[in-house]
Amino acid sequence: MSLNRLRFSGVRRRFGRLAVLDGAAGEVAGGEALLVTGRNGSGKSTLLRCLAGLVAPNAGTIELEEDGRRLGAAERRLRVGMVAPDLAFYEPLTVAENLAFFAKLRRVGPHRATELLARVGLPPDRLAGALSSGMRQRLRWVWALLHRPRLLLLDEPFQNLDAAGEAAVRSLLDDHLADGRGLAVVANPSSLEVPRVAARLDLGG
Amino acid sequence: MWRRASTWAAEAAAVFAKDWRCELRTRYALNTLALFAFTTMVVVSVSLGPLGTSADLGVSVLPVLLWLILLFAAAAGLPRAFVEEEETHTATALRLAATPSALYCGKLAYGVTLILALELLVAPVYAAMVTLSIHSPGLFVAALAAGGFGIAAGSTLVAAIISQAQGRSTLFSVLAFPVLLPPLLLVVELTRNAVAGHPAGVALSQLLLYDGAITIFGLMLFPLIWNP
Repeated sequence: MSLNRLRFSGVRRRFGRLAVLDGAAGEVAGGEALLVTGRNGSGKSTLLRCLAGLVAPNAGTIELEEDGRRLGAAERRLRVGMVAPDLAFYEPLTVAENLAFFAKLRRVGPHRATELLARVGLPPDRLAGALSSGMRQRLRWVWALLHRPRLLLLDEPFQNLDAAGEAAVRSLLDDHLADGRGLAVVANPSSLEVPRVAARLDLGG
Repeated sequence: MWRRASTWAAEAAAVFAKDWRCELRTRYALNTLALFAFTTMVVVSVSLGPLGTSADLGVSVLPVLLWLILLFAAAAGLPRAFVEEEETHTATALRLAATPSALYCGKLAYGVTLILALELLVAPVYAAMVTLSIHSPGLFVAALAAGGFGIAAGSTLVAAIISQAQGRSTLFSVLAFPVLLPPLLLVVELTRNAVAGHPAGVALSQLLLYDGAITIFGLMLFPLIWNP
């Protein structure tokens, strides 16, 4: 049995009168991916934000275990890796400066960023404000994996990527899941080919 | 314990350095603060005329005008500390990476140094323009430091509260009034004492008490505001 596991049940979230999530439930263990599907507005992004701890659910439980230890909401928020369309970086800073800043916050050394940048083919000295949409997406992947998270939350993870970019991030996702410790929740994949999918959650809509 | 404190301090220092690096590349806040302060100083100087004010009137009026210039110049730039993170969508990445109290301290240090830089620029020019003679320069510097810290700390806290709200500008004015009025009254009194050559009185200790209280209050409140 894996020591890394995400389990959530009865997750509800309302924005005013609008019920976006109505009792979502799922489970994923180390080395596996949970695929979340549904129409636009069905609550996929909201579910991922609840799992990350960015949005508090109105009801339900979310449990993340890392190496057999259950994390509280505040710790979970600082431990997850996330790729999401609304994730932005400091435009006056270069790619390397952005990553160096977050590496200090994440308490990781500079070599990890260098290694990941080489894998996705991103120029470190380019200003974040001068990146194309595809390059921004590559930067989101590097940022998400910087601290070697166990749980990776991926919202539209392949959007704006060209063939080479998609191959590079798929290889990162493969590696994340391959050692059996990393787990992923993937929403809105533009391509349905996600490796090691153990379960699917259809939010309908 | 010591290791934890040093990593927390390193996080706060990283936020402080990042904010200054971004600021020095864009010069948004520096330009806004400096232009606002310069414009109001010219208006004050021209309004007083070439003769300036009498000595008695100068002691009571000129410190008030100095702090009004500093307050409104600071109000033009300090609320950006958190608002900009929300508007440029960098707040999500920060929420997922930074310890809230370290983030708050980094932002506070940035706000304090920004306002101290503004004071360094404005105070000598203002004193020269309105021929303000200061009899206790040491107390004057203490007033600038303690008053600047109080305004920066109060503004940073209010900026954090309003950052996720709609109608931020209006909210800042409404919330900043009760938060910034006490230090403003105290620092005006302290500056008057410095100009007149009087002792600091209770104003300095009360201002330092306010500075400490607003900092501790901000550190306690910020994680509740910042996280859902």
